[in-house]
Amino acid sequence: MAWRSKAVSQPQSTETSSRAGLGDVRLVAHQVRYEQLAFWLNRVGAIFTVGFSVVFLVLLGASASNSRISFMGNIKLIDYYVPGFVAYGVMSACFTTLATTLVVRRETGLLKRLRLSPLPTWVLLTSIFVSTMIVVLVQVVLLLIIGRFGYAVHFPQEWAAFVVVLVVGIVSFSAMGVAMSTAVPNQESAGPVTSIVFFVLLFLSGLWFPLKPTSGLAKFSNYFPIHHFILAVAAPFDFQAGVSPWAWHDLLIVAIWGGGATVVALRRFRWTPRRS
Amino acid sequence: MPAISVKDLCKSYGELHAVDSVSFRVERGEVFALLGPNGAGKTTTIEILEGFLARDGGDVQVLGVDPGHRRQQRWLRTRIGVVLQELAVEPFFTVRQVLERNSGFYPAPRPVEEVIELVGLSEKAGTKIKRLSGGQQRRLDIGLGIIGNPELLFLDEPTTGLDPAARRTTWDLIRTLASDGTTVVLSSHYMDEVEALAQGVAVLARGRIVAAGSPSSIGGRDRGQVTIRFTLPDDVGPADLPVSPSHLDGNVVEITTNDELVVLARLVNWALEGRRALPGLSVTRVTLEDVYLDLTRPIHDGLAQ
Repeated sequence: MAWRSKAVSQPQSTETSSRAGLGDVRLVAHQVRYEQLAFWLNRVGAIFTVGFSVVFLVLLGASASNSRISFMGNIKLIDYYVPGFVAYGVMSACFTTLATTLVVRRETGLLKRLRLSPLPTWVLLTSIFVSTMIVVLVQVVLLLIIGRFGYAVHFPQEWAAFVVVLVVGIVSFSAMGVAMSTAVPNQESAGPVTSIVFFVLLFLSGLWFPLKPTSGLAKFSNYFPIHHFILAVAAPFDFQAGVSPWAWHDLLIVAIWGGGATVVALRRFRWTPRRS
Repeated sequence: MPAISVKDLCKSYGELHAVDSVSFRVERGEVFALLGPNGAGKTTTIEILEGFLARDGGDVQVLGVDPGHRRQQRWLRTRIGVVLQELAVEPFFTVRQVLERNSGFYPAPRPVEEVIELVGLSEKAGTKIKRLSGGQQRRLDIGLGIIGNPELLFLDEPTTGLDPAARRTTWDLIRTLASDGTTVVLSSHYMDEVEALAQGVAVLARGRIVAAGSPSSIGGRDRGQVTIRFTLPDDVGPADLPVSPSHLDGNVVEITTNDELVVLARLVNWALEGRRALPGLSVTRVTLEDVYLDLTRPIHDGLAQ
């Protein structure tokens, strides 16, 4: 086999090497493709993230029949579940999956190796983010279709509000996912720790059983972003007469958590395994 | 222009001088080894050369650029390959998928099939990484290190934890790369590895270079004393020998000398005259391991005794 000869190369001028050109856009596309592959090839992770929300919606929708929620303008329970599981899908992909993936990659040295490859950091981070958005989008579309054609839940009435809520949610919960990953010391505990935190908060935030606004649990979960995010996703569906599709207050609290998490993430993020 | 030149490199973590005024050069096409016990500063030095860690002081040039210079880093990373101590491979990808992904990062990568063949994973190309053995994963790791067709390859303890057969395969691979003109910098705490692969070696201990040279001459190996060993024949005592033993271990005689030809001649003449055998006769120079242990012995060893 003939080897390519090793030409003695000269460093390029700094201008060329630091410019983000069309090549970098292609690089993002290349990396997104493999981020997607990594996500879907990890069957268990993919099923937990995407399958869970779909299965939950189908089962809860079947069991909810015609129940209504008296303290939420008497809307049907299934009308609450569709936005509820859209919110779940966003949070699960951005928080649980992202946090777990980052811990595993950090502890196995994958992050360090990527850091030492010519792949620029911003390309890596952008690719992870775009890939997460694709996973969220797949779920949202699935959930809306199941809701619409399985349980006659209409699509969001105010699409602009719906999109804004999703974007704010994706950005904020991704930041929380990255922040969470910095708190987990090793890959063995990554899955269990993030899942327990997530599911306990989900339960307390009324994903399965909507919270009465006056209850003690509602007051408690008002401090956390999950309850607010569920309400913010529900608002654009316009089920309750007299409730604005733009849930600014809820969205603001989600964004505050996202901002705080960004600070933590930037300060504590590491490329190298914690155990070494 | 050498592949690497390091002058008075320093790096501290708080009070600890991890790397303390280290200088060395690596020529293009050379296999160079950094040898030293854990915590000697090998990995820190390599990570500074890779541009992963910032240094506190000294001059460093890698392929003609300063790896600490942020604007040069991306260019440098297209020209170097890195194999870390950790087995950093995604479990769900196949061998070919992960190589194809990483080849996309480089402007002029080696063809994926060529790398697969080179690291001896042709039969495993379609296998998921989690199903590979430890040795196969390590070879894939090296494959990822060379996919960008690097001029300079860093191997951090490339055979730690491998079985003897896998170590040999990895050595052959490193030799193949070196014969192709790739400069290789490896860290190791295995003497035999350094002897088998490297043309240049620097021994690090407590952040300093305590010896440097070629593996065969380092620490005065080519000049110093020789040890002659044999088993004492049944019918003779140590006092009957023509040369007095330096050391007696059971019935194994050891004679340490600077004048091995004279000692050997007297021994052999004595044995031939008495029609005796000298079972297990061996003549050895100081091993690299002896030199290494001597050079890297912690200071407190002497004080404790």
